Amino acid sequence: MIIQTKKGEIKLPCLEVKIVDINLVQANNYNPNTVSSQNMALLEESILANGFCFAVVTIWDPDLDKYVIIDGFHRYLIFRDYLQAKELPIIVLEHDITKRMEATVQFNRARGVHQVELMGDLVQALVEQGVPDEEIAQKLGMEIEEVFRLKQITGIAELFKNQIYSKAWEMREVDGVG
Amino acid sequence: MLKQVYTNNTVLEAARERISYIFDEFENIIVSISGGKDSTTLAHLTLTEAHKRGRKVGLFFLDEEVVYDSTIKQIEYLMDLYPENTIKLWLQLEFHLTNATSLTESQLICWEAGKHQIWMRPKNQISIKHKPWDVTKETVRDKNKGFGFYDAIENFENSRQNTAFLVGLRATESPNRWRAVSKNPGYKNIYWCTKMTNGNVSFYPLYDWNFHDVWKYIYDNKLRYSKIYDYMWKKGMGLQEIRVSSLIHEKSFRALVELPEFEPKTYDRLLKRIKGISVGNLYGKDRALLRVQKLPKNYKNWREYRDFLMATYPDPEKKEIFVKRFAKHLDNDYVARQQCRQLVLNDYENNLPIDNKPDPREVLIQKWRELL
Repeated sequence: MIIQTKKGEIKLPCLEVKIVDINLVQANNYNPNTVSSQNMALLEESILANGFCFAVVTIWDPDLDKYVIIDGFHRYLIFRDYLQAKELPIIVLEHDITKRMEATVQFNRARGVHQVELMGDLVQALVEQGVPDEEIAQKLGMEIEEVFRLKQITGIAELFKNQIYSKAWEMREVDGVG
Repeated sequence: MLKQVYTNNTVLEAARERISYIFDEFENIIVSISGGKDSTTLAHLTLTEAHKRGRKVGLFFLDEEVVYDSTIKQIEYLMDLYPENTIKLWLQLEFHLTNATSLTESQLICWEAGKHQIWMRPKNQISIKHKPWDVTKETVRDKNKGFGFYDAIENFENSRQNTAFLVGLRATESPNRWRAVSKNPGYKNIYWCTKMTNGNVSFYPLYDWNFHDVWKYIYDNKLRYSKIYDYMWKKGMGLQEIRVSSLIHEKSFRALVELPEFEPKTYDRLLKRIKGISVGNLYGKDRALLRVQKLPKNYKNWREYRDFLMATYPDPEKKEIFVKRFAKHLDNDYVARQQCRQLVLNDYENNLPIDNKPDPREVLIQKWRELL
């Protein structure tokens, strides 16, 4: 299957997913991407809530007799270690080592960040839908402190409303030693 | 003996009295604004007094072009607070800024002529677009660096006479600076000011305010403030460390790390405006690359890494500056790490000066050797 675009035909490996024995899959030795334990918990949460939506991208290495991961190492870890699955959905590309390394970085880096303001709006919307703070923290992979800060819509000046003004001081020429 | 003495006033009452005193003493008053919380507070206090007295004060903003959109919105807000009492002194003219994140484009000329298509934004209708001083008498601190931010401020100040310049400097914010300015009275018996040329004086009416006083004032008066403060707070920063800084200066390139999350459009325009922005964004918090605290693993020591950075430094003119400067330094790892930092941050201006002394580690080792 292909889709025609103005820059030519685009291949659709996402339609060619296959399920393999998880022991036939292994990590590459160059991936610079790291995921914090907090985000690993979020990834597990996501897989439990949404299912496994993105197959792990690999190449077949005939010397190792294994599928080597290009993208999806952490999804693979969740399946193997956290959930102890026996099988894994994968896509197999035919890339040489250079293209594999490039692809790994492309997959990792070509993604967005969350605009702080909109993230705040999103958390606020969940609060209004009646989702408790603790549940928001768990589902979105946040600490409760982060939820508290994000849902606070009045701005930081509000935090100081009960503050009292400091005492003024001045530099003065004083006789003798204090 | 000069001592710090507490009075029975609050900082708010005291600041109002100080500002009132300046209005009594000076016909011409100009407040420097940056879009930050301190100068917002100072501008509001001063404008309130001007309004009460039916007087006019200048609001001076030196626009570096490469700033948060939120800063510009804040400046527009302040300029329109009391239009009948405000003289708008918004300067948008060419001067040099250091770009700490790129080795090939080490200086940005803001508002550079001919580049208006890639300027961060068009110039503002109300702004002053030509140098409002005699260019034949213009002063430049360092000819090598070219006409910079502080030169623009200095020449602007020197173009005025008998003027009170109000600045939102606070002693708790920069104790060093405070000690430097508070040693002697700068005007009559006033310590919270600095004497300048042409009968001009810089005053610091908020010198004894703490950051929470500033926020309290902003809250009480329902003032608008830069959105960046809220974003930083939401990102988990401490209330004390939150400040709105310039985007590309060598001490503030870390602002680039969060820029895409705060103002994605500003970030996109910045990418087109100047090189090195994505490097600052990706590695601004990476200890190895830009903060230069961890030796990259391919090098035995900092001296070796420094020699590599020197050998591969892309700009021959700037390289000469480093060669000359480093020749005066001791050759040890302690000094070499700081030299690496200057090279990596492209700090040919010596903004992050090098502490040139024997390596404290080696000194310690030597001491033990002698003892044993």
